[in-house]
Amino acid sequence: MGIQDMELLAIGVVVILFMAVLKQFGILEPISSFEDSSDSDLEMSTVRHQPEGLDQLQAQTKFTRKELQSLYRGFKNECPSGLVDEETFKSIYSQFFPQGDASTYAHFLFNAFDLDRNGSIRFEDFVIGLSVLLRGSVTEKLNWAFNLYDINKDGCITKEEMLAIMKSIYDMMGRYTYPCVRDEAPSEHVDKFFQKMDRNRDGVVTIEEFIETCQKDENIMNSMQLFENVI
Amino acid sequence: MAAGVAAWLPFARAAAIGWMPVATTPMPIPPQEKKKTQDGLIILNVSGTKFQTWKTTLERYPDTLLGSTERDFFFHEESNEYFFDRDPDIFRHILNFYRTGKLHYPRQECISAYDEELMFFGIIPEIIGDCCYEEYKDRRRENLDRLQDDEEMDISNEAAPVNLSYREYLWRAFENPHTSTLALVFYYVTGFFIAISVMANVVETVPCGTMPNRSKEVSCGDRYALAFFCLDTACVMIFTFEYLLRLVAAPSRYKFVKSVMSVIDVVAIMPYYIGLVMTDNDQVSGAFVTLRVFRVFRIFKFSRHSAGLRILGYTLKSCASELGFLLFSLTMAIIIFATVMFYAEKGSAHSKFTSIPAAFWYTIVTMTTLGYGDMVPKTIVGKVFGSICSLSGVLVIALPVPVIVSNFSRIYHQSQRAEKRRAQRKTRLARIRAAKIRGTNAYMHFKQNGLLIDSLEEASKKAGQALVGKAASPPFESQHHHLLHCLEKTTNHEFVDEQTFQANCMEISVVNKAGSRSSSLSSSPHNLSSCCSRRHRKKSSFSLPSTNNQELSTIQIRERPLANSRSSLNAKLNETVPLKCNQPYISPSMVSLSAPPVTSSDEDSTTTTAYSQSNIVRVSAL
Repeated sequence: MGIQDMELLAIGVVVILFMAVLKQFGILEPISSFEDSSDSDLEMSTVRHQPEGLDQLQAQTKFTRKELQSLYRGFKNECPSGLVDEETFKSIYSQFFPQGDASTYAHFLFNAFDLDRNGSIRFEDFVIGLSVLLRGSVTEKLNWAFNLYDINKDGCITKEEMLAIMKSIYDMMGRYTYPCVRDEAPSEHVDKFFQKMDRNRDGVVTIEEFIETCQKDENIMNSMQLFENVI
Repeated sequence: MAAGVAAWLPFARAAAIGWMPVATTPMPIPPQEKKKTQDGLIILNVSGTKFQTWKTTLERYPDTLLGSTERDFFFHEESNEYFFDRDPDIFRHILNFYRTGKLHYPRQECISAYDEELMFFGIIPEIIGDCCYEEYKDRRRENLDRLQDDEEMDISNEAAPVNLSYREYLWRAFENPHTSTLALVFYYVTGFFIAISVMANVVETVPCGTMPNRSKEVSCGDRYALAFFCLDTACVMIFTFEYLLRLVAAPSRYKFVKSVMSVIDVVAIMPYYIGLVMTDNDQVSGAFVTLRVFRVFRIFKFSRHSAGLRILGYTLKSCASELGFLLFSLTMAIIIFATVMFYAEKGSAHSKFTSIPAAFWYTIVTMTTLGYGDMVPKTIVGKVFGSICSLSGVLVIALPVPVIVSNFSRIYHQSQRAEKRRAQRKTRLARIRAAKIRGTNAYMHFKQNGLLIDSLEEASKKAGQALVGKAASPPFESQHHHLLHCLEKTTNHEFVDEQTFQANCMEISVVNKAGSRSSSLSSSPHNLSSCCSRRHRKKSSFSLPSTNNQELSTIQIRERPLANSRSSLNAKLNETVPLKCNQPYISPSMVSLSAPPVTSSDEDSTTTTAYSQSNIVRVSAL
């Protein structure tokens, strides 16, 4: 007896459904995921970093011994391996800004601290950065800020870079603000910034323009001294 | 914010310098930093185990004991450390909380001990980290259940029957058959009748042989119709009576009527009444016969009698989602396979698979591995799919079943644990009572010696007996006893032991009924002594050495037992007796603190009980 067409079709449909169910249960993908996980587990555990000695750090930064000790204790508590990778950094920083999304700004900050661009902040980077921010001269602080804004580290800040930074700062505010953050607010702010900073109207802000303008602005000068007593 | 991250706050603030150049408005003034104390080490000595940590670590949580100035109360100057007389093992976790910001719950610790420590150190349990939170909550719930069970048991046992209204009493009897014999009897009787009724329903349908004037075999029900009818009537009457009683006794009638058991009760007895109402009506008699099916619901009434059945029912209810999933997947599979089989067998001649619904029967029988064989595929394709069908049936059914089984097992174990707790409750309460008794025993004992001190001056002057031979009790106990004594003096009541109190209560009622017999003593103090005397007359076994005197002096002597020493018996009795009689008496609340008679020595026991009895007598007389 022959099998009619409809039956054939029915059988075909059933077989397809069967395969679909198997795939749903993951029976058809046994091997691919297995190998990756075991390797990556090994990698995570072997990376560790010990900082330089206390004396060298004391020489490199303007912190006292006790301050360095206390800083390291806090650092090591949160990052036992001695290295902060970007994800951890973002998660730590985000905890201070629960209403908004601090991850983009944290990304920029991370790049500003990660001096040797290897994807992780060591304690030395951390402490050197902090030393500049808290114990450095105003010029050093302004240099640091410029370095932060200059995303590609080419020595000048373009409008796009500034817009990215501005957006990330506004992102940290979150949605619930008064008055509401309009979509054009970052770009307006960037325009104002460039108006103030860009002396020769060439569309970019160089380090000299930046420092010169900031030194003339009283508000900025005052605010630079604000966080001296943080540690 | 976790404490560890708090250490990064200075960094976050420093990084805020990045916002300064873009800011258009001046920044707010930072908060005034307090004079930073030097970050020093603190030594925490917890029962000998020394823990050390930075001061700032502790000060991360200023609303706890260690983080605030409250810890100064525990500062020990001599060793320049903070000393806590608490459990060091649990303290380890608490200190870790300060260090890491996460509170963990160790599995091997007792939940109440842990809770106490947390409360002492001012830490709210809600901040337990996610890793340990479920375990903590589970243990806590178990503990609360246990405490609640104990309370319920205590309450249900202590509630004296006379306090409940008749209705409440009835309801309690129904819910808890073990509370009184009558309830137990009723429980068993109803159980018996349920069984009888179900058996009658079953036997009714058995063919019983032919009637003399007919050739067809008839069922027992038709043959002995009258007998079965009587049996049914009896059962239904009992059930109706029980249902009405429950309805009357229920605290919330509406809730009772809505409950499952009451619905089952009603459904079980309805067919009988309906049958009574519509007799001999041919049209509805067919329907009536069908209604008789509902009589089988009587078997569900057994669930009141069997805890296991209730557990099963509860399990099924709690596994509703798994059962639903099972049903759903089965239905899906049935439809798929029935369709496939129908189309596969469509070609074969004389195929039983006439339609897809007809194929449902085959699929169900095959998937549950029953395989009646009334429908079998004949084509090869049909056979192939038939075999796939039976294999998948086994799988589909086998998957949700362990889930249901494990649910059942969990609930069963829970109820077993509850049963065990209930069984142990008696021992537990007995232990608690024994501990209390030991305490008051000691007090009674002490009183015999201690109260001596009151009258010691008199007694020793008269008799010069050396009473100092008794062993000195430890200072804590003696202070405790002194405290209890003060309480007695304050309230003018005294402690006695339970048994004698109970015994005396009954006797006193007899005494009161008999009326006051002693005529010579009419004024109140003497009245009391008359009751006392009656008491003592009854307890002749307690006759003290000097019973040869006249009745009055006998009474007085027996009144004496307070002093409890042979010498004091010889002392002047008159002053002490009225004193005692004048005192008002024991309130029932102290009964729980009572002790059984001290069995150290005969004299002691008799005097104690005599003493206590005299007191009790006075209570009831008043």
